[in-house]
Amino acid sequence: MLPNNEVRVPPRRVLVQEKAVPRDITVEFTEAASKLRTGQLVKDETFTLFEAVGALEIMDSKMDSGYIAPGENHAQALEDNYDVRRHLTPEQVVGLMDQLLCHEMAWHMGHPLSQTLFTSIYIDKLLWPVPRTIEDARSDRVPSEYPLVGLVLRTYCLALVKACDFVHARVASEYFYEEEDFVTQLYNRNLLSTFDSSHFYRLLDQAVDWVDAQEGIEQKLRDAIRSRLLLRREFLAAVDQDLEILDTRSTDSFVLCLTYLKTLTETTSLGNALPEAFSLKLQRKLASTVPPRPIVHIKQEDALAHMKRLCQDAIDMQQMLDYRGPSNFKTAVWTLLSRKPQPSVYIRSLLQALIVSDMTILGAVSVRQFLYDDLAELVLPSSILLRANTDEVELPSDPRFRIAQIMEGFVKRFAQPYVDTVRSACLNRCRVRRTICHTVIDWDNLQMEAEELDLQLQNLSAEPALQFQGGEATFSYPLSSWAYHQKLIQLRLILQMGFELSVYAPEELPGIYWYLSHICSTHLSHLDRIRTFTVAARKRDLESSNNNGETSAHKSPAYHRSFLYLERLTTHIIAIDAFAIALHALYVLLARHQILPSAAGPDAYSSDKLRYELRMKPFIPISLPELVPFEEYQREATLEGDTDATILDRASKAITEARKAWEATLANGAFVEDISSPMKEPSIAIEEDWRRDIKDTMRACIGASIAIETVKKALLGDSPASEKVPLNLQVVIPVIGSKTQWHDWWIVPQISEKKAAKAATS
Amino acid sequence: MESEKAVEYLNGLIGRTLRIHATDGRMFVGLFKCTDAERNIILANSFEYRLPTTSAIHEAAAKETESWDKTEPKAATVKVNMSSRLIGLIVIPGRHITKIELE
Repeated sequence: MLPNNEVRVPPRRVLVQEKAVPRDITVEFTEAASKLRTGQLVKDETFTLFEAVGALEIMDSKMDSGYIAPGENHAQALEDNYDVRRHLTPEQVVGLMDQLLCHEMAWHMGHPLSQTLFTSIYIDKLLWPVPRTIEDARSDRVPSEYPLVGLVLRTYCLALVKACDFVHARVASEYFYEEEDFVTQLYNRNLLSTFDSSHFYRLLDQAVDWVDAQEGIEQKLRDAIRSRLLLRREFLAAVDQDLEILDTRSTDSFVLCLTYLKTLTETTSLGNALPEAFSLKLQRKLASTVPPRPIVHIKQEDALAHMKRLCQDAIDMQQMLDYRGPSNFKTAVWTLLSRKPQPSVYIRSLLQALIVSDMTILGAVSVRQFLYDDLAELVLPSSILLRANTDEVELPSDPRFRIAQIMEGFVKRFAQPYVDTVRSACLNRCRVRRTICHTVIDWDNLQMEAEELDLQLQNLSAEPALQFQGGEATFSYPLSSWAYHQKLIQLRLILQMGFELSVYAPEELPGIYWYLSHICSTHLSHLDRIRTFTVAARKRDLESSNNNGETSAHKSPAYHRSFLYLERLTTHIIAIDAFAIALHALYVLLARHQILPSAAGPDAYSSDKLRYELRMKPFIPISLPELVPFEEYQREATLEGDTDATILDRASKAITEARKAWEATLANGAFVEDISSPMKEPSIAIEEDWRRDIKDTMRACIGASIAIETVKKALLGDSPASEKVPLNLQVVIPVIGSKTQWHDWWIVPQISEKKAAKAATS
Repeated sequence: MESEKAVEYLNGLIGRTLRIHATDGRMFVGLFKCTDAERNIILANSFEYRLPTTSAIHEAAAKETESWDKTEPKAATVKVNMSSRLIGLIVIPGRHITKIELE
């Protein structure tokens, strides 16, 4: 298929009449073509019918953006009679500015420029023909006699386009999905990228000064125009210096944007819209490989809300810029990006650039350090493996020399995939899950590679084996343990994000919640294993320091942090596990009594087995943990052989445990506090988001325990249901985003007694 | 022309740059990819050329007049470039084709 993006770098074609005189072949061609049989094609060998379908049909009004209907006046069809130098009232200027802002935000939201900003006649004339100097850059190429147009509106447009230029550059330089997140297509226009921003600030200042001096304009209108110009200046400054936040830690521009946005919101009613200043005809002049498409109109309040959110997200982002260890960093990134609605593509791109550029995290920590910190936190609180390279041993016979070499290889291999696990959260939500489905396979291989390194390191560091109860002696395998931990997180996320993205049908819920608890319990035993080895290492350290008389005190903080971290992780996963067990049990009962709604009809081709195969696709290639075979899954997921009473008991107990564990998780807080370093400024907004997330989960827990109670009453109540009498309950599975859906990852059924049936029996 | 020869002739044009004039006055320049008995033509990487609009001509004429030495007679013609834009892969239905040129 011919790439769509060839428009981005259009080959410069100049029609040079003198060079090659074209030969008229109309007659020969027509005659030759007429000899072809109907349906016979003469075509380029590599050209497929599939591609042909994508061709735009010329002279078809729906496909051909350059089509001019027979009755249309040719000149008018291409050029609007709209006079960009005309006089505008202050109300109209306000209205125009607001319309332009709507279009700008629509573009931010993912609509193409051709359907948004580039439908503005002012913007079109500003950018085409291409201005060579900043003085030329004006819609009214001969300056309008009205400063409100020639200075104020012009400056507004200029600053807007320049801001788009920065946003465009930022998004295009990071990972994003064309058309899914954003359309980078510029239709052979240039967003004034050649002009230095200083021109724009100067013009903005001039325009503001001019507005201030206009006594003739009503005060409130003057303020309205003024705040719009100032918003442009601050927004331009904000996106102009977006990466500098790493050095300055300043969010002043975005904060000011919010201030002006407030004024702007209060004064939108002052504006008079000027629909004639926008035209679909402009698409006839844009280099575009797509059919003509309508102008996108978004609501003013939606545009303002979008911009407000963008600024707020940018401000809150500042709170995660101080590096306080890998787990805190990852929590902050994930929490910020899990906001609903998800931060805009610009924010997500900016965040990618801040998270890692030039192999440096947050512009301060090397990727190696980041990786080492994470290893230290999880598996190697104080190990020779992490210190070997700092000892600068140059004696090849010294094991530390070899250890340093192996660890170097580890960093080279693992740094990128590891950083990517953090960075991929910046994609849109569907892509986050999809990406994890792919990367989890890489991590399966990485774990095996890590295992080999572990074996080599074991010998070099002379690690003593541990005797598990009754089992064989075994070693800690720190690197592969760490990799396995990463993989288990990813497997869990695939399932949990599946709920968020409404992937599963109601009839799948019992099975998926069972699988979630299965992954959690696997993860918990893995954490236990890690803890066992860390405890043993700590013991060895203490013993050897006693024998040698040297102090191990300096190692204490590292151990402390690691134990704390393991404890927090365990609590969190227990909470997930218990909640999943409870929901699993509840859904099994609903399914057993045939009151669980089903998406598949009775005649559907789908079966439980086929569905399982489909859902578990990302899990199939994983070697550890192995995919549970369908038969076993079927037995476990339906709780075969357990009575209703047993299952109810299981649900009640689990939900009680879940509530306790979630409370404990909440009490632990979002971040691991570092006892060794002085308290830094807390990340209030992000922490607040995190707390809200946990609290929503707890509300879902309460909802689930009520649902369990309702089912219990119906099952064990005065008139217990039997084979013949179905449960008198009505079950509704809330949709994602509805109010009864407390948390995206926890689908709690709404269970109520059937009213109609009750009336009939009484 | 025999059918075989016709196919041979058309095949020889595949991949070459054609200029196709359409009934509405536009011209399309692009790489010839495919045709059929109806003379429908598919062009890849094509550009659309359109005669300049009246206002553009006026503008150019005005500029010409400005720079012109007042004593000399006015030029009878002014040169204005056709406006062009990339539109990519297109199919031009045979019935809308007025002229085909080979570059």
